Amino acid sequence: MSGSHSEDDLLSTRVSEERVGDWQVLAAPMDVDSVVSIRGSFCTYPDFDAGEAVLQDLAVALLDKGTRKRDRFKLAEVLDESGAQVTIVSDALRVRFSVRTLVSALPRVIDVLGEELREPLFDPAEFEKARAYVAAALQREMESTAAQSTSALTRLLYRRGHPNYVLSCGEALELLQGYRLEDVASFHQRRFAPTDATVVFCGDLKGVAVTDLVAETLTGWPQAPRTDVPSYGGILTVPASDHVVVPDKSNTDVRLGHALELLRQDPDYVALYAGNYVLGGNFSARLMSEIRDRMGLTYGIWSSLSNVNRLHGGHWVVGVTLSNENVQAGIDATRREMERFVTEGITADELAEKQNTITGSFKVGLATTGGLALSLLYNAERGFGVDYLDRFPSLVEALRVDEVNDVIRTHLNPAALSLAVAGPDSAPGVQ
Amino acid sequence: MQVPDAFERITESGGITEYRLRANDLQVLLMPLAGAPVVTLMVTYRVGSRNEWAGLTGATHFLEHLMFKGTERYNKRLNNSVFNVLQRVGAQVNATTWFDRTNYYELLPREHLPLAVEVEADRMRGALIDPEDMESERTVILNELDRGENEPIRNLYHAVWSVAYLAHPYHHPTIGWRSDVETVTPSGLRHFYDTYYWPRNATVSVVGDIDPESTLSLLEAEFGKIDAGPSEIPEVTTREPEQRGERRIVVRQVGQLGALMIGFKGPHGRHPDVDALDVLSVILGSGKTSRLYRRLTDNGATTYINASASRLRDPGLFYVFAMLAPGHTHNEVEAAIHDVLDEIVREGVTEEEVVRAKNQLRAQEAFERDGPYAIASQLNEAIAAGDWKLYTTFEDRLQSVTGEDVRRVAQTYCTADVRTVGYYVPTDTNSG
Repeated sequence: MSGSHSEDDLLSTRVSEERVGDWQVLAAPMDVDSVVSIRGSFCTYPDFDAGEAVLQDLAVALLDKGTRKRDRFKLAEVLDESGAQVTIVSDALRVRFSVRTLVSALPRVIDVLGEELREPLFDPAEFEKARAYVAAALQREMESTAAQSTSALTRLLYRRGHPNYVLSCGEALELLQGYRLEDVASFHQRRFAPTDATVVFCGDLKGVAVTDLVAETLTGWPQAPRTDVPSYGGILTVPASDHVVVPDKSNTDVRLGHALELLRQDPDYVALYAGNYVLGGNFSARLMSEIRDRMGLTYGIWSSLSNVNRLHGGHWVVGVTLSNENVQAGIDATRREMERFVTEGITADELAEKQNTITGSFKVGLATTGGLALSLLYNAERGFGVDYLDRFPSLVEALRVDEVNDVIRTHLNPAALSLAVAGPDSAPGVQ
Repeated sequence: MQVPDAFERITESGGITEYRLRANDLQVLLMPLAGAPVVTLMVTYRVGSRNEWAGLTGATHFLEHLMFKGTERYNKRLNNSVFNVLQRVGAQVNATTWFDRTNYYELLPREHLPLAVEVEADRMRGALIDPEDMESERTVILNELDRGENEPIRNLYHAVWSVAYLAHPYHHPTIGWRSDVETVTPSGLRHFYDTYYWPRNATVSVVGDIDPESTLSLLEAEFGKIDAGPSEIPEVTTREPEQRGERRIVVRQVGQLGALMIGFKGPHGRHPDVDALDVLSVILGSGKTSRLYRRLTDNGATTYINASASRLRDPGLFYVFAMLAPGHTHNEVEAAIHDVLDEIVREGVTEEEVVRAKNQLRAQEAFERDGPYAIASQLNEAIAAGDWKLYTTFEDRLQSVTGEDVRRVAQTYCTADVRTVGYYVPTDTNSG
């Protein structure tokens, strides 16, 4: 995929952008029969230091349990009668929602969404059930070596209070038990507003007046959007390690990484993304080729630039899953590859291959209503216009290997890696 | 459209046209789809873990892994392995194995379809199945097995199937028993490859932005030169004996919150009752108006509950699955599930429930047409169940399901004598 595009190929000509109240509204008609996918989000900026991430989880768990206008069954009937799916989740700085519906049901389905977001009932009879639901999710996370290693790494890389710092399940459960319904209602009142709010519609939009629909269903919030944006610092730079014991498991999950002082909009980002892709972006990347394919040590290994956005940095992380008897060997091999990647850099051939991969898979990823909606949403959250998605392949194609290797050496440092391991207590004292 | 002479046009249904490649009986399904300039190519081999026996469980899955390890033309030593070659052009490429089928697929920009066809045709009969590759892949699969065994829910699922099926190969998990994965030999895998990987035993589906005529020519050029294969592909002849009494299994593993699964012996996937079972499953457990959700999750006894009708080549399970909420017991949840089922058997379901369930199923069907990969995936499961037109005729069949049908299938299949009940009981320590 390269070179010029016809006007019809460009997203910026196919996607409409409007402001409706405090919402940025994007609409992308697609040649699909009857289906509409919606993705959206707004910022809530929880006080993470005060444990408000857990409060946000609880608030979200209560949104579909009734509103001031309709009880939870009436809300559910609207969705179930048409087969629509509405999901609202808590995600650090943001509350995110996704909708899949037939276009015929779109107005009443999005009406339910707007009502749930703006005016939940916070029924006392539902509070303990919601608390138990959130507690159950935390308890099931305690059983997961993947979840435990991922969250343990964040506690080695960030200070408490940073959006990327994930509380341990134990601490989250303790906080959860201390909250009252009034705390949740107060959180909703203070934090739920269309702050930095975007909603994207993709699919069969023939005859749909999207902006009218948004005006009717997603505006009219009691709270005004927040105009000040908190700043987030607090990364830890001294390498550390943690071993979370998750008993009675045959497999151990390992995360190696360090924080990055890089925002999504930084000029180095695209080059670092492409460089990292060579290391661990897909099956034919170095980590899989070496540690799975040649050495047979793992079913899955990957690397990513995680949780980097326009407001705060994230971290470089390599994740690998290892049978218990191979944990130390797997970690050693992974460290070697990460070291080699930074000290030796990548070759021009490797970069060329991944440039083609990234641009080709980018096109493929936009082929479904959900895929396009998500790409448009993330792009808007990053502060980019739709034209950025049209330019992205060219930005990747323009990269040169020396530039990518400079950026790798600037931002990535194997000597700074922290290590989080989650597995049974019979695993060796890994390092 | 001019059908190339190499092909016989068989039939058309729901926008999909079936062809037979005369040279070797390869079944081809084409579905042109306007929209994004991408295409999915999927090859479905009608072989899965149901074709295995003790000592060779997991062989078809192992073979699936080795199909990526190379052929004479595409291999790592030449720096053009299957993954390298396809991912280089932006393809999403992978494969899966299940009870009734193994499928290999690429979702990629349309201009690269010829490459994908070349790769799939090459490895249909050109896989090396190298002993050295097999050893390194064995440890990969053992790690995949270990990852799976980390998950108590997965272990519960496998345990219920293993107890429900005593004789039929649905008894063992598709990944195989650990000892079989540890000991399978190259000749064992070669046996599966040479028995089942032939054009006569495969379906090639192409869905997306395609021109049918040139696509057929492309398929003929690459697949046409492959021999048809043995005239007889072995059938699975083991039939599960009638279950004449409830079975129970408990899985203990260190963990936090329990789960339970109840499986009932159901019909094979082409049986008309499966459509009514689909409707029953939605009435029972889809959405917040469903019976089990209202009885259990809405009352705080479960955090998740659903019901599902298997649509397999041979008779599968109709099952209910529940995740317990803190402070609630397996007995309590199981009793409630039986109550709800008994109520349906006694009193039937309402017309409103049937209409709502059909609407949900229709919506789900529409969602599963969002993009060529979603369509190819659904088609793949219909092929595996024994008739690709199960996919395209679903809406018409659904229309004819009545409330009385739903009650009848509940009465017929959800009985105590044909159920297997599994509990996952979390323990505090390994010693239980």
